[in-house]
Amino acid sequence: MKANYVIIGAGISGCSIAYNLAAKGVKDIVVVEKDYLTSGSTGRCGAGIRQQWGTKMNCLLAKASIEFFETAQVTLEYDGDIEFKQEGYLIVAVDEEEDEQFAKNVELQKCLGIPAKKITKREAREIVPHLNTDAIVSATFCSTDGHLNPFKMNDAYYKAAKRLGVKFFFNEAVKDIIVKNKKIEKVITTNLEIETNNVVNAAGGYAKEIGTMAGVDIPVYAEKHEILVTEPIEKIQGPMVMSFGKNLYCQQVPHGSFVMGRTDPDVDHNHDIESSWKFLDEMAKTLCEMLPLVGNLRVIRQWAGSYTMSPDRQPIIGDIEDLEGFYLACGFSGHGFMFAPMTGLLLSEIILNEKPTIDISDLHVSRFKHQKEFVLEKSVV
Amino acid sequence: MISKDLVIIGGGPAGLCAARMAAEAGQSAILIDRNAKLGGQLIKQTHMFFGSEKQYAKTRGIDIAKKLLDDVGSYPELIEVWEDATVVGLYPDKVITVLKQEKYLKIQAKAIIVATGASEKVLAFENNDLPGIYGAGAVQTLMNVYGVKPGNKIIMVGSGNIGLIVSYQLMQAGVEVVSLVEASPNIGGYKVHAAKLRRYGVEINTSCTIKKAIGKEAVEKVVTIKLDENWNEIPGTEKTYEVDAICIAVGLTPLTSLLSMIGCEMKYISELGGLVPVTNKYHETSIDNIYVCGDSSGIEEASSAIVEGYLTGLIASSKLGKKHPKFAELVDDFQSQLENLRNGPFGAKIRQGLKKLGGSVDA
Repeated sequence: MKANYVIIGAGISGCSIAYNLAAKGVKDIVVVEKDYLTSGSTGRCGAGIRQQWGTKMNCLLAKASIEFFETAQVTLEYDGDIEFKQEGYLIVAVDEEEDEQFAKNVELQKCLGIPAKKITKREAREIVPHLNTDAIVSATFCSTDGHLNPFKMNDAYYKAAKRLGVKFFFNEAVKDIIVKNKKIEKVITTNLEIETNNVVNAAGGYAKEIGTMAGVDIPVYAEKHEILVTEPIEKIQGPMVMSFGKNLYCQQVPHGSFVMGRTDPDVDHNHDIESSWKFLDEMAKTLCEMLPLVGNLRVIRQWAGSYTMSPDRQPIIGDIEDLEGFYLACGFSGHGFMFAPMTGLLLSEIILNEKPTIDISDLHVSRFKHQKEFVLEKSVV
Repeated sequence: MISKDLVIIGGGPAGLCAARMAAEAGQSAILIDRNAKLGGQLIKQTHMFFGSEKQYAKTRGIDIAKKLLDDVGSYPELIEVWEDATVVGLYPDKVITVLKQEKYLKIQAKAIIVATGASEKVLAFENNDLPGIYGAGAVQTLMNVYGVKPGNKIIMVGSGNIGLIVSYQLMQAGVEVVSLVEASPNIGGYKVHAAKLRRYGVEINTSCTIKKAIGKEAVEKVVTIKLDENWNEIPGTEKTYEVDAICIAVGLTPLTSLLSMIGCEMKYISELGGLVPVTNKYHETSIDNIYVCGDSSGIEEASSAIVEGYLTGLIASSKLGKKHPKFAELVDDFQSQLENLRNGPFGAKIRQGLKKLGGSVDA
């Protein structure tokens, strides 16, 4: 088989890239996925969409992506409901240090046109009445942040890409990438050999291994993040409540369940995605302190997925100096879902040598080679 | 965190027998069951068992339960019984999380025997969520455990042994069984049970299924339809019955979610009822010291669950260092009992299923 472009990974990033390339008229695009649609990090994520970031790049990508989501259902001609709900993110500061940092973040966000604001404890309580304000110092709120169904959004991109002629192959794990004279020749999967000169690495947690197959070192690693869902109840919480200091995010999704997660600070760097009882214990403690009322609900299910961490917790999007035709969309550090519209648009522009809608030269992988210090994104759970 | 070398999940025939053999071998264990009363499905089985004397043939299920409970009850210093305790999680580090009378507890185990049994299969038809539609197990529980009639006019779906026996029990309780429908062209259960029903005037309609249930607040009517040799509905053969209950007895599927959760290798084997764990001939799963026995390892009769339980209790204890004084003799005996139980035409499906699962056909 021959292909103009082989995209590795049918998560939200791979499908968005495939759609954007196809929408620009590119033919013979093949997406290979080792499992099934949305089987990786996209289908395991917390379904939150936010613009309140600490770095300029992340803010810009998030803002433009939200603008896309607002009309995505129509743009992608999707017949389902992507369940985009903009009821905001309430990010709480739990100490003076966070309070100061958040003031700076909000200034940055405002400069970039993001409608975030710094609010008091009392105002926070008006937005989320069951929030334990004794546990917080202040908060920030952005009303256009919110929730989006990862399965539906991924499916919307997949179907739109398919309509434009993109071919998808599931249960096809990439086994090798043949490179000769610094040029890609072939991608070998479980059952296929695809002749191609262009490969897009959107393999999520396995982006590093895919890089290694092509002889390219990508400075990312996978780490497990756990999450749970409760029984559904009538609506009591509009926005996502998030705390970096207390290590928690918690949102009531449209069908009434609460989805929540936290990070294990001692997590190993590997592909483990097994659920742990420790997470359930720690999550319950954190939640009962911050949102005590929600602590009364029963847990339905817990699961885990991989964050693909980059050194500065910002994405790696672009080409790579050492290998022609090899493109990267990885290292999203837990936020690939909400950036996907821009990932797809910007990478397709870079691939086709168009002027990018947003200058993302700062997200090129070479930053880790050339720069001694990076701008570290601190706003991560 | 509680520490216990052996934990047995499920206090039905398999779990009870595993606990008894463990105790005989001198191995202590916690036996956990989510119901207020141990015994599993046996406690609602008022009919006499078939088979050989060794597995309590000619004894009523409810009396077998008493016997097995007494056996376990004679080792109070070794077997700790947790009733009204639901296992809610089984984690890769062999930590079991339990909701015991509203308390969330954790047990660190070294070996775990999963004997969680099965759940009833459902059938897809229009309005299949109306009140008045029961699984056959639920009907037995209502009638035989709580003494509650599930309805006055009922239609039975499924002609396996459960469908046939429960139909008869319904009649004994004064419920009118208007018809028994079976989608396949043949009756699934023992002919002796079917003959008994026919003698009492119950029509058995093979190649027939439920098209839909009708009712506002609860079932009021049911529409059946005949099926052709390719299992397609034959238009014009619809028949409407006035009923206030529908009993569905279309088989069981192993309850294996705990085994999936801990990461056991699973295989879909339709002959065994669905997704089952891959085991060696000693009922150990792909994970060291995680065992399975009874219906959760594949749907069979209670008699097989009993013998599997004994065998698994022996093996698990032995691996923990407590070897039964008659270990070798008993293992041979239980393995040959299982072989006998699976002999003959009614064991063909199970033999086929175990063969597909790989390995344990000689167990």
